[in-house]
Amino acid sequence: MIFLVEETLKRIQSHKGVIGTMVVNAEGIPIRTTLDNSTTVQYAGLLHQLTMKARSTVRDIDPQNDLTFLRIRSKKHEIMVAPDKEYLLIVIQNPCE
Amino acid sequence: MTPGKHSRALPRAANAGRLQRRPEKRWWTTPQLVATMPVSPAGSHKQQSFGLNNATQPNKSISFFATMKGTSMKSYAGANQSRMVVSKAMLIPSELKTVEKTNPNIKTIQVFDINGIDVTPRPLYHPDPLTGTAKPNKLLTSQEGSLGSEFVSSYSLYQNTINPSMLGQFTRSVLGSSTVSKSSVSTSESIAEDLEESSYKRERLTSFTDLRVMRAAPETVITKEDLEKNIEIILTETETLKFFDLPAVMVSVESEEAEKVIQRNKNYEVLCRNRLGNDLYVERMMQTFNGAPKNKEVQCDKIIMEDKGIMSTAWDLYDSYNAMELLSLSVKQSSPESSSKANVLPKDREQGLAGSTTEKSSEASSLMDIENVILAKIHEDEEDFSDVILKSDRFHQDLLFMERVLMGNIFQPKLAAYRQLPVFKEPEPEEPEDFLENAKHEEVEEEPKKEEEEEIEIDAEESTILANLERLWSFSCELTKGLNVSSLAWNKTNPDLLAVGYGNFGFKEQKRGLACCWSIKNPMWPERIYQSPCGVTAVDFSIGSPNLLAVGYHNGTIAIYNVRSNSNVPVLDSSESPQKHLGPVWQLQWIEQDRGTTGDDKREILVSISADGRISKWVIRKGLDCYDLMRLKRTTVASNKKGGEKEKKDEALISRQAPGMCFAFHPKDTNIYLAGTEEGYIHKCSCSYNEQYLDTYRGHKGPVYKVTWNPFCHDVFLSCSADWGVIIWQQENIKPFLSFYPTTSVVYDVAWSPKSSYIFAAANENRVEIWDLHISTLDPLIVNVANPGIKFTTILFAKQTDCLLVGDSDGQVSVYELRNMPTALDSGQTIDIQETIIKSERTE
Repeated sequence: MIFLVEETLKRIQSHKGVIGTMVVNAEGIPIRTTLDNSTTVQYAGLLHQLTMKARSTVRDIDPQNDLTFLRIRSKKHEIMVAPDKEYLLIVIQNPCE
Repeated sequence: MTPGKHSRALPRAANAGRLQRRPEKRWWTTPQLVATMPVSPAGSHKQQSFGLNNATQPNKSISFFATMKGTSMKSYAGANQSRMVVSKAMLIPSELKTVEKTNPNIKTIQVFDINGIDVTPRPLYHPDPLTGTAKPNKLLTSQEGSLGSEFVSSYSLYQNTINPSMLGQFTRSVLGSSTVSKSSVSTSESIAEDLEESSYKRERLTSFTDLRVMRAAPETVITKEDLEKNIEIILTETETLKFFDLPAVMVSVESEEAEKVIQRNKNYEVLCRNRLGNDLYVERMMQTFNGAPKNKEVQCDKIIMEDKGIMSTAWDLYDSYNAMELLSLSVKQSSPESSSKANVLPKDREQGLAGSTTEKSSEASSLMDIENVILAKIHEDEEDFSDVILKSDRFHQDLLFMERVLMGNIFQPKLAAYRQLPVFKEPEPEEPEDFLENAKHEEVEEEPKKEEEEEIEIDAEESTILANLERLWSFSCELTKGLNVSSLAWNKTNPDLLAVGYGNFGFKEQKRGLACCWSIKNPMWPERIYQSPCGVTAVDFSIGSPNLLAVGYHNGTIAIYNVRSNSNVPVLDSSESPQKHLGPVWQLQWIEQDRGTTGDDKREILVSISADGRISKWVIRKGLDCYDLMRLKRTTVASNKKGGEKEKKDEALISRQAPGMCFAFHPKDTNIYLAGTEEGYIHKCSCSYNEQYLDTYRGHKGPVYKVTWNPFCHDVFLSCSADWGVIIWQQENIKPFLSFYPTTSVVYDVAWSPKSSYIFAAANENRVEIWDLHISTLDPLIVNVANPGIKFTTILFAKQTDCLLVGDSDGQVSVYELRNMPTALDSGQTIDIQETIIKSERTE
């Protein structure tokens, strides 16, 4: 099971344009990351707050709804976050490449 | 002091008053200022003893009379105003009994709170039985230290009644606030009066037994769990307590009482006027006694206040309500257990961390050691924790989504083209894309001109922009590299799911086999991979249960997989069936037979044709049961070639046609089907007869690799074979209707387009051709040449879009978009195509 997960993570990382992949837990401690620690921690902390806010927004409108995926498209690249109660899966991709 | 003298106090009561004077002088500057002592049932007794003590030990410090057990010590409430009380006798607990004996009528009052705990106020001063004398300070200190005694001493009360000169000696008032009533009554008042009033006081004091005083609860150790326990605070509305009710003194003029009130007012006015000089009213003065107020200070622990703010959002409330509902339902499920297990780990970890932080803060010394230990602990916890996360199902799903999203980003233009959406241009277009866009624009412009087919024909030869196949992407990964694509099949309900079978056709070229399920959303990695040692020759998705995938192998085995699950093990396998196929299964198809031969309702059966010459019907009851539909017997090869020379097998197109080379069920009448054989014959068979053919179509000279009915025109079918030819047949005519020999290479696969009855595609070894019979029956409309070394082996149209899937011998399934196709004409008109074809035939 873990092997599959590792495989998939590796595959994701090897896709075109992917800059970094990271999995952080709810406290912001990285579990798997392909970037350096400081960047990871920075991303984790900032995205965690944003995810909370996004989730709060979604649920305020309809409490039965919940946030499943978050994509932030910027000029340089796209940050994709799959949030969960216990972890954050973050992938940064440069799609234009 | 002499406790023993208490008993003798009574008879000396009479003298008490006189005797009192002496100590008064000693202790009070102004006798008048002596505060009256609060009455206690033993008040009289006290006084007597007081007098006694004064008489006997004038030099002694004040000794105070402690009330007996349970006697109302609440006498401090400023009860007696006319007394001057200083009791000096100190009652020792051991004396209680003696006292009680002497005064049996004295009630012992005990205080109990709601729970029945005895909370009678304890005396604040417990005299040391050994020391007879006690200075005021000592008294105070000993009083402070006394705890746990059962009776309350009026010591403090009496303290309060000491005159100001004595007050200075006492730095604390022990029993709380008490109003000391300083009587202006001189000490000359007889004790007798006091005695009389004592009984009165007694009654009054009994009323104070209602006072509840809570004893301090023993300190309990608060554990960490207690701190983290969720304490439910339930706020409920209490009944309304009225503290103050001031009835209105104004009445509306219009109310009912108005008249009465007005009348009364008038009466009162009259009365007042009459009052002056009236005999009925007499003036009389009275003096009221004001009690002397006393200030009392109490010190308590600092009240710690904490501010806590929380934003209650709509979802927060919703969650709380839901949680309460879940708890109240108390359904026994395994999921709460598992979720609690999952939660236990993070909780433990949090607790562990919390514990570690407190450790850090509490011990300053050896901080480094502790920190190291903590860090180690954190890492351990982390590892356990991270594994939990990585193994969780949600993580898997999130990974899946993430990959698809990435794919969406990478393949966005291609997928958009596939789905026939406008292609989104990136803000920074790359150079080659730009050219492509321009080319597209040109094509678009010229398209309206191509309305008429003749023009199209001309244009096709002249202009560079014509109908073409544009390669969008290809399904491939390193697993499939080098394998030969042998079959393609769409899922019946999910149009994005594609099953691909990989396996070599030839017997000598047998390698391992692979059946993969690909999704359009992820062209770089298959969703499911089913590996086998034997090459896969046929795949098909079920109609009734779209999660079942039937896979036919080169060794004749048929396996059914459930693609919903992640397991690689087939659900059913025919390898142990006695009637399994002995040769490669060249085609599989799920057929829904209504009014089948068995008379049941629409039941789905799996039909397979294989090189051992049998067309079998497989039914899933408890296992795979096989019935032979037909045995292809022929004078020539028909059957029983163990796949030796069979080169290619094509598989079923999902849409309506039964794909080729093996068989094709009539789209309307599922009883009739065509079977193509290795001899080159196409037999029309019926399910009702398994011995004879209804018809035989002879036209091919080589093995027929594919037969497929026209989706619109149900009398026409198409076949391709190894003799380089593609033939169109009419059902009634056993002679070929139209034949094409475009190249000198084996045609592996043909397929009708789902959009038009005139268009079909054929895959040669090195070309993919799109034919449009409306335009020309001589030349294909589009020809797409393969890279050298690669053979196109399978072909499949996509249903909703203008796309074509082509599998090749390198393990790639390429997706091509048909661009600039001539607008589809009426495809349902059967007459047209036949007429057109006949016309074209004549022109040939």
